[in-house]
Parts: sequence; C-alpha cells; structure tokens
Amino acid sequence: MKALLDIQNLDGPGVGALRRLILTLADSKRMMGIRYSDWLLGAPSIEAGIAISSMAQDEWGHARLLYAMLKDVDLEPLTIEHERPAEEYTSVGALDSAFEHWAGIVAAMTVVDEAISVALLGFSRGRYEAARTRVPKMLAEEEFHASLAKAWYRRIAGSSSEARGLLRDSTKKLLPPVLAWLGADDAAAKVMVVEGVTDSSQSMTEVYRARLRDLTALVEVNIDQAQPDGGWDEDRARGPGWPDEDAIERARGDRNRALLVE
Amino acid sequence: MIERVYDVFARKHRGDQLSHIGYVDALDDEMARVYAWKTYDEENWFEMCVIRRRNIIPVNRQDSPFSGSEGDGG
Repeated sequence: MKALLDIQNLDGPGVGALRRLILTLADSKRMMGIRYSDWLLGAPSIEAGIAISSMAQDEWGHARLLYAMLKDVDLEPLTIEHERPAEEYTSVGALDSAFEHWAGIVAAMTVVDEAISVALLGFSRGRYEAARTRVPKMLAEEEFHASLAKAWYRRIAGSSSEARGLLRDSTKKLLPPVLAWLGADDAAAKVMVVEGVTDSSQSMTEVYRARLRDLTALVEVNIDQAQPDGGWDEDRARGPGWPDEDAIERARGDRNRALLVE
Repeated sequence: MIERVYDVFARKHRGDQLSHIGYVDALDDEMARVYAWKTYDEENWFEMCVIRRRNIIPVNRQDSPFSGSEGDGG
C-alpha cells in the first residue's frame, strides 16, 4: 500500500494540480447531476424517471463530497459552489449543453459518466487519503448508473434506425471532449501521476476505451479511432467553452440564494 | 418496446425473511435491477432481488397478482 500523501510536502505547482483535479471532478459531477435532472419528467417511463432522479441525487452528493476536499488545499467550498461564473467551471465540456432527446442522455450516461468513474477510480487508488476513503462508495453507486446506461444503450442500438442514428451522433459528439478531459497529459496532470495521486492519463484512457469498445461498436463507432478535441485550457483542465447559463444558475442555487444556509 | 413486470423482494438484515416490497416495469432484467434499487431505496437493504412475474409459478391460486403472465407484456 502506497504511503499517504502529505499535502504539506507538495510544492506550489503540486497544490495547484491537486486543486485542479479535485475541482474538475467535482464540477463534472455537479454538471452530470444537472443533465440527469433535466430528464426527471421526460424519461420514457416512471421507473426511468425515478432512476434518473436518483442518479442526479447521487451525482450531487458525490460533487458535494468532492468540493469538501478543497478545504485540504485551502479553497473554500462554499465560495466555489455558489459564487463562480460559468467561465470558471472546469466540468468536462461534453456536459456544457442540455441533451435534446433520450438517446442523447443515454449516450451521456454511457460516454461521460463512465469517463468520470474511470477518473475517480484512478483518484481512489492514489495516495490522497480523502479520495481513498470517500470515492469507493461513489464508485459502488456508479455501478448502477453504468448498468442502466449499458441496458439503455443496447436497447436503443437495437431499435429503429432513427433512434440508433441519434445514439450514434450523440456518441460521436461526446467522445472528443471526453477523451481530451480524461487523457489530459499536461504539466499538472503529470504532477498528479508523479505524486501518486492518480493513474496516468494513458492507462485511464485505455481502461475507458476497453469498457466502452463493444458498446459503441453497436452503433458503428470505433472508440479506438475517436480523437480528443483540441483547444485545451490548462487552467481549467478542459477544452474551450463553459456550461450554459441556465445550468450554472441551477448549479449555484441562484434562485434560492436568499435561503442559503451552511 | 415491450415492458415486463418484475416483482421486487428484499430484506433489511441477514436472517430476515425475504419480503415482497413492490414491482417495477422494465424492458429487460438489467433495467429491472436498477429500477428496483432506485425505486425502493427507502431502506438500507441487506439484500434485494427481482424476478420476472411470468416466471413465478402459482401453486394454489390462479387469480393472484403473481399468477404468471397477467399484466406482463411479454
């Protein structure tokens, strides 16, 4: 077992890299929850609506636990959660916009949520104690998300050509920003690997492709040929752009700001 | 797409009797697993399982909710 990370021993770039890693995981979880919540009332069945509602709650709970880790790197979670503008969000770019159809959210459930889980798996195996103790329960809950994603993905892939086409197009659209995010190999990402905080981007990308290879093949998408987006923003650990304003207002809780109690 | 009825059974503690706690409609077994877990999450279940209603074999009554394919789309 690897020795626990002593954050006091990290230099400035090391602390910055850990901040960035925690924040991009937390923001991605928060936005994944927002995108699931878009479908609370639009799912194909009551059961699917209940499941996606529960998954939204899971994601928000995970996000809250991850934001709380920011205290370890001298950031105030309350400010981060409730006061940032959209341009400062570090969530994976694939979640910037709402999904217009059920095939789209199923593709996100499969392509994006799985990538976040692979990133969290790497984080949970590292030397940062909070990740080692808190992330495994998140991953256990994510197993149900992955099961539902795969079941729906297979179901839509085997249905009408129109539905399969929507799933294919959504998958193709989501993969590049996800691969850029998961496969980040810049200086900060390398610091986290050297410090033993998470797995290498190469190994995580290999795990990710292996998990989804057979599924995406069902809609004629070869995940091994998919390429990451360009335009990497090192400060935010993501590609260009940011989530739409409506999603950010909900994420920050703007409507109930007067009632905010911490 | 045809939904099937799955009955949900669970117990709170090891050693408790497995109890029928409800049902879900699902397109397949995998969805039924998730729907059951997410729908009946009011307890911290020790064990939960689902069974497709048509696979339940009635013993003494043919008019109960568990009498095979009644209400089951497939």
